Amino acid sequence: MKRSAVANAVLIGVAGVFLTIWTFPVLWALLTSFKTERDVLAYPPTLFFTPTLGNYKDVLFGATTILPNLISSFIVATSTTIVTMLLAIPAAYALARLNLPARRAGGFYILATQMLPPVGLIIPYFLFLQKIGWLDSYKGMTLIYLTFSLPFAIWLMVSYFEDIPREMEEAALIDRAGRLRAFLYIVLPQVSGGIAVTVIFVFLNAWNEFLFAVVLGGNNVRQVTVAMFNFISVEQTMWAKLGAAAIVTMAPVLLLGLFAQRHIVKGLTVGAVKGGGRR
Amino acid sequence: MSQAGRVSLKSIVKRHGAVTALHGIDLEIEPGEFFALLGPSGSGKTTTLRIVAGLEETSGGSVFIDGVDVTHTEPGDRDVAMVFQSYALYPHLNVFQNIAFPLRMVGMPRQEMDDSVREAARKVHIDHLLARKPGQLSGGQQQRVALARAIVRKPRLFLLDEPLSNLDAKLRLETRGELKKLQRSLGVTTIYVTHDQEEAMTIADRMAVFMDGRIVQVGTPKSVFDRPATADVANFIGSPPMNLIHASYLDGAVTIGDHVLRSDCKFRGLRDVIVGIRPSSIRLGPTGIPARIDLIENLGDALLVDLRLGDDIIRARVGTDLSASEGDTVFFSAEPAHIHLFAADTRQRLNA
Repeated sequence: MKRSAVANAVLIGVAGVFLTIWTFPVLWALLTSFKTERDVLAYPPTLFFTPTLGNYKDVLFGATTILPNLISSFIVATSTTIVTMLLAIPAAYALARLNLPARRAGGFYILATQMLPPVGLIIPYFLFLQKIGWLDSYKGMTLIYLTFSLPFAIWLMVSYFEDIPREMEEAALIDRAGRLRAFLYIVLPQVSGGIAVTVIFVFLNAWNEFLFAVVLGGNNVRQVTVAMFNFISVEQTMWAKLGAAAIVTMAPVLLLGLFAQRHIVKGLTVGAVKGGGRR
Repeated sequence: MSQAGRVSLKSIVKRHGAVTALHGIDLEIEPGEFFALLGPSGSGKTTTLRIVAGLEETSGGSVFIDGVDVTHTEPGDRDVAMVFQSYALYPHLNVFQNIAFPLRMVGMPRQEMDDSVREAARKVHIDHLLARKPGQLSGGQQQRVALARAIVRKPRLFLLDEPLSNLDAKLRLETRGELKKLQRSLGVTTIYVTHDQEEAMTIADRMAVFMDGRIVQVGTPKSVFDRPATADVANFIGSPPMNLIHASYLDGAVTIGDHVLRSDCKFRGLRDVIVGIRPSSIRLGPTGIPARIDLIENLGDALLVDLRLGDDIIRARVGTDLSASEGDTVFFSAEPAHIHLFAADTRQRLNA
């Protein structure tokens, strides 16, 4: 009894340390976002200061507004996510169900694309987009993000589809559903958790992406990560505004995560095929 | 009994790459029949069922249901229902929705669907579970949901793939009886796959015994039990299995070692045979073939006695009044009518 109390305390302590390390930058950005630029540079850092909403006002509605950039990011991330999922779901289903000879090699290729350092692709991508005139455009950014998100999404979704017993689909076929309805009514609802997870990953990657955004974007498509970068300049770094911008940028991501969390839990398959049923 | 549900298989062949799973299956199943496909695992019985269902393509041959060639018909267009070994319930739908699914797929009106689902659920005694999800049910309840989903459609054919194999022994026995009654009351042709010979014996009107992708015998459980067509069928049907002993035959008499047993075979000549005697047909007494008792197992209402004869072990099922004990030498014999003879080379039955 006593021992488990000690073990508990240690566990909580260790968890606390990790949590502190992980949340510190976020909390620091949050604190900074409410300071004036003068308070930010105070040394030693002040813990007690008069909070101001001025940074948020500037960042959202002032001269240095990032609202258009947020919208740009949202368009790019959303279109990337939609196109990715529309292609990845059928592709992953096919890979999971068909005995294609190139399946293993294909799986490795998909994984390999995730290992490439993105920096190495910037120049070819730039030249390619320039040739077809898609630089600094939404379709161009979406296309480039697809090259990373699509293999990743397929790879992730395949495992979810593989978890669904074939017999379940066969039962639907015998129950006169036909291939399409068996897929839509029986298979798809069971991978909804997997779809939610994949959507989050794909959306986040596109939303947080900086490298391609800064090189392949421009005046038309300037994503929020690039706009935030502009708070750092040669003459001056506007830390407080950067902090406010960071918090504003994080907010939708956090909301998405919270919203999806419910779905992830709900989407878990609860023992349909027997054996898994009783727990 | 309805006249729909006649199934004919004509020289069905199934190949997986270089492996041939079915070597030309011919089978006629009558309307309303409870028909078992029996065989050890890997003998092709499940493949045959899946071909009837349309879940598996044939490599050759044709499938007819009620005289119509359905070899290339989609599973959904064959008007058959199936219960899978795993039950294959839809985990995201509740019991009602699971049972209603095949009706929903053909756009049955709401009220009619509601009534049909409730009626099917009542028949298998799960009408109180309609709101539950499959994951919240016991194995036996899940099995009933799968059954209800099959009967709700009133199909012309039920296909059951080892539906009882995932239940515990007591429940299996109960469900077996209920299944048989249900099938009788519905009168729908039922094809039932099992590797359990006792299950097939008790439940089926007729059965086909599969061995290595071939049907070796078709008949009523009694005829298969009484007159197994090959030594392998003899060994497969019955528990404990039939004793098979190599011997030589001459004009009706069988010689095992130095000893002679009479059989009711009439044919003339000398040949190598396999003698088959069921454990329950063996009599221990003052005369017969001497053998030493290796082991006695008490089953409660009977004794299983292992007799050693040379290198062979012969099992006998005898009454509990046996006075001999392990290590003793006893004499065994069997009625001529209970002696099965199989050719040593082809393993085919020799008695009439």
